[in-house]
Amino acid sequence: MELQILKPGLETRELYLPEMAEITAVRRLTEMETLYTVKMPGGRELGHQPGQFVEVSLFGVGEAPISISSSPTRHGEFEMGIRRVGMLTEVLAGYQPGRKIGIRGPFGNGIDVSKFRGKDVLIVAGGIGLVPMRSMINYVLDRRDEFGRLIICYGSRSDTELLFTDELAAWEKDPRVEYHVTVDRGSPDWRGRTGVITTLLPGLQLDLPNTVCCVCGPPVMYRFVVLTLRGKGLPDDNIYLSLERRMKCGVGKCGHCQINGSYVCQDGPVYHLPDIAKLREAL
Amino acid sequence: MANKPRVAIFDFTGCEGCELSQLNFEDQLLDILAQVDIVEWREAMDDRADEYDIAFVEGALSTPDCIKRIHDIRRRSKVLVALGSCAVDGGVNAIKNLHPIEEVRAEVYGKDQYLFPTLPALPLSAVVKVDHNVRGCPMTQGEFLRLFTALVMGKQFAEPDQSVCVECKLNENECVFERGMICLGPVTRGGCNSQCTNFGQYCIGCRGLVSEPNLAGMAETLASHGLAMDEAWKRLQLYNAYRLQGVRA
Amino acid sequence: MAQSFLEQARVLDFIVHLQTRHTVYAPHRRGQRSFAFEKTSDPAAVELDYPRVLGSVKKYFLPPRETLMDFDLKTDTATAPQVEPVNAVFLGVHSYDLAAVKRLDHNFLTGKPERNYLVRRQGARFIGVSYVPDKFHFAGSVGIDPYDMTGSDVFLTRHPDGWIVDVLTGEGAALLQGFALPPHALPKPKREHFTQHIYVPQDSLGRILEASYDHPVWNETARSCLSCGTCNLVCPTCYCFNVEDQVAVTGDSGSRERSWDGCMLRGFTEVAGGEVFREKSAARQRHRIYRKFKYLSDATGQPWCVGCGRCTAACTAGISIVDIVNRLIRDAEREEKITA
Ligand SMILES: Cc1cc2nc3c(=O)[nH]c(=O)nc-3n(C[C@H](O)[C@H](O)[C@H](O)COP(=O)(O)OP(=O)(O)OC[C@H]3O[C@@H](n4cnc5c(N)ncnc54)[C@H](O)[C@@H]3O)c2cc1C
Ligand code: SF4
Ligand code: SF4
Ligand code: SF4
Ligand code: SF4
Ligand code: FES
Repeated sequence: MELQILKPGLETRELYLPEMAEITAVRRLTEMETLYTVKMPGGRELGHQPGQFVEVSLFGVGEAPISISSSPTRHGEFEMGIRRVGMLTEVLAGYQPGRKIGIRGPFGNGIDVSKFRGKDVLIVAGGIGLVPMRSMINYVLDRRDEFGRLIICYGSRSDTELLFTDELAAWEKDPRVEYHVTVDRGSPDWRGRTGVITTLLPGLQLDLPNTVCCVCGPPVMYRFVVLTLRGKGLPDDNIYLSLERRMKCGVGKCGHCQINGSYVCQDGPVYHLPDIAKLREAL
Repeated sequence: MANKPRVAIFDFTGCEGCELSQLNFEDQLLDILAQVDIVEWREAMDDRADEYDIAFVEGALSTPDCIKRIHDIRRRSKVLVALGSCAVDGGVNAIKNLHPIEEVRAEVYGKDQYLFPTLPALPLSAVVKVDHNVRGCPMTQGEFLRLFTALVMGKQFAEPDQSVCVECKLNENECVFERGMICLGPVTRGGCNSQCTNFGQYCIGCRGLVSEPNLAGMAETLASHGLAMDEAWKRLQLYNAYRLQGVRA
Repeated sequence: MAQSFLEQARVLDFIVHLQTRHTVYAPHRRGQRSFAFEKTSDPAAVELDYPRVLGSVKKYFLPPRETLMDFDLKTDTATAPQVEPVNAVFLGVHSYDLAAVKRLDHNFLTGKPERNYLVRRQGARFIGVSYVPDKFHFAGSVGIDPYDMTGSDVFLTRHPDGWIVDVLTGEGAALLQGFALPPHALPKPKREHFTQHIYVPQDSLGRILEASYDHPVWNETARSCLSCGTCNLVCPTCYCFNVEDQVAVTGDSGSRERSWDGCMLRGFTEVAGGEVFREKSAARQRHRIYRKFKYLSDATGQPWCVGCGRCTAACTAGISIVDIVNRLIRDAEREEKITA
């Protein structure tokens, strides 16, 4: 039988072998999360889009899909913010600058920035969802003229779990950013808002057809955020969601990341809401 | 665990089939010993306030004294590992839980029964927090090695949670149901490389159950292959008597 | 191309002919009542009349277990092992299993093509054989006849006195070189029929499944389903895999291993923290059936079930893919009648 799908000269890359990159800086964000700065071999650019991810590989431990947290506009090394939750992330938490880690990617579609250009950008991030969204936020900040308003709604379980506190403080002061934050449970010295993330949305004054929104957070969050956004009259066409599923290969082969018939590592992780209306497992 | 971990091994009611020293690790034993300090071997358990990085504990708990000892071991150990089906699930020992305790004592100890207070056989996890399991009767050696390596490397150990059928299919075995036998593979936790069905034997479930077993479904399946319903549940209970207490409606 | 005839008495010679020139894999007896592809050594052990093999030829291109890389933990370096081309003749493959190979090709060679699969798959030559459908086959319902020669380089059709030989490709002709066969002049044998059927064409099946997402059959099946994963693992078109690292006891070397996985297993969608995206057995069963008859068919225009009947034959709980699908069809038709 002929291999009909194979065209002559088809490139078959080594799909699973990672490149060895170097951790150049490690910064503790909270008790659970750490920010890693990573240099690709030879200082090469990763060449990613906001919203894309890499597979991080530790030999003898495994691999995990991790979002790229830095914006491609900030050239050179890239950043990842990682929460300690299991096998690989726990081992990684003990890593210091100078350690080598394997990297495959960038993978996934990422955010189609062109859909946001010239529009008001609304970012809704819950918990660790801020990590990938930070790539988009800094992209917009670095090319501020290309976008309208930048509205950031960030929800966290508690104020001790807020990520990137220095950047949050900067956004708070930055006149070019409308920054809103809420925590589910505040510590005694928390002076900000308390309540779940959806409580941030009703008060927003949005220029509706001109606002495009991207949402990223824990699985439970999406349904409620989408309902609230719809309730405000934001058309589905203006809503993008970054979804998470178990992954193994990152390259559309292993089948783990499926949502109904869609592969998150290929068609996602960023989905246009109208496209997932038919994916009943999505939200 | 940057320095050599201090390892202790303890042993409760069991058949000694799991005993580490008796296992046939071949050339791996030296590699293992090179990486740890064995601080106490088996029963040795004196009053020294010794502490261990890893305690391996074999056997089910069946006397008040066992309970005292396991609490003590837990206090002294950073990581506690249950070795073998008795320690993990109560094992076949837990079968006695199905009979009134007095009857068991009379049967086992005869007229001396009152000298030996016994409890229903309990897995370690019924009394203390258990960090890891090495399942099987006798315990699965490959799993012991995987766990051991993970612990020494300081990484977590992901216990397999899929049926024995998975490995049986990877090995392309003929299913024993094809030969009119019955098999507990579909609800039994894999990780043994289906070592029984590889030899045409049926799986008796020595590695315990997967995390969400469909027990009623399994009993139905056994019944549809010719077992009476009572017998089907008895088969399921052999290694899972503790976990199945009160399960059957 | 021309037909010729292989007399029953010459079958052993034919196998010897192939074997002296090539590596040959063919069906052999396995266990008491089963068959499996194995490398041939004794030609007399080859079974060309068999109902189905336990695992399809998939195992040669996507091995059940495979090392993706070896690593040295002292230097943090990894090397991918040399993948050896299978470069063999597969003698005695059924039409549905060849159709399944095509589907695997699609997964591994489109998008980002995978080298491991490609290297193994290149150079495989297939000699198909016809078969008599048993009580589990339903390949006819997905358009794959027992005599379908698609994918074969040479095809052998059963005849009472031997095999009618069709040479379909240049590679097939090369396999027969040096083994003279008389031309075939006998009439074609009578066709065998399937006893199992799915009672609608594939294109309306997609529409029916679309409407059956919340059908009670999923929960009903979940009552008996043991979530053992067998139906995935035996399926010739299932390709999902897991990847795990192994470390030597000495702690200084290891490997990254992949092995077949299956969406019927609860842990398939589990993520750190314990969330399981397809938590209910009913949702997993639906996913499996939709994968075979809808999701991948929508994407590629082909059913992803080739009707081999393995999943039904192997399910210890007696769950039948044909019964599930026919139940959905019957209820959809009833519904249509009511609403019409
Ligand atoms: C597109 C994408 C982007 C992500 N971005 C980030 C990020 O920026 N920061 C962060 O901290 N986490 C992120 N995650 C989640 C992260 O992948 C998991 O926390 C991580 O895989 C856990 O691995 P572990 O080995 O520590 O846990 P274990 O529970 O030991 O997991 C074992 C394996 O299961 C798979 N797995 C487990 N959890 C997940 C999961 N949530 N998603 C996908 N696969 C999983 C992985 O293959 C993992 O190696 C992202 C997930 C996805 C899908
Ligand atoms: S022999 Fe047992 S373990 Fe193997 S497939 Fe059959 S039921 Fe499963
Ligand atoms: S096949 Fe069953 S009985 Fe045999 S070792 Fe594995 S779990 Fe135990
Ligand atoms: S083989 Fe049968 S019991 Fe096992 S997962 Fe499939 S449908 Fe369920
Ligand atoms: S779904 Fe079942 S019948 Fe269809 S190809 Fe797979 S194993 Fe064969
Ligand atoms: S992660 Fe393997 S297919 Fe998407």
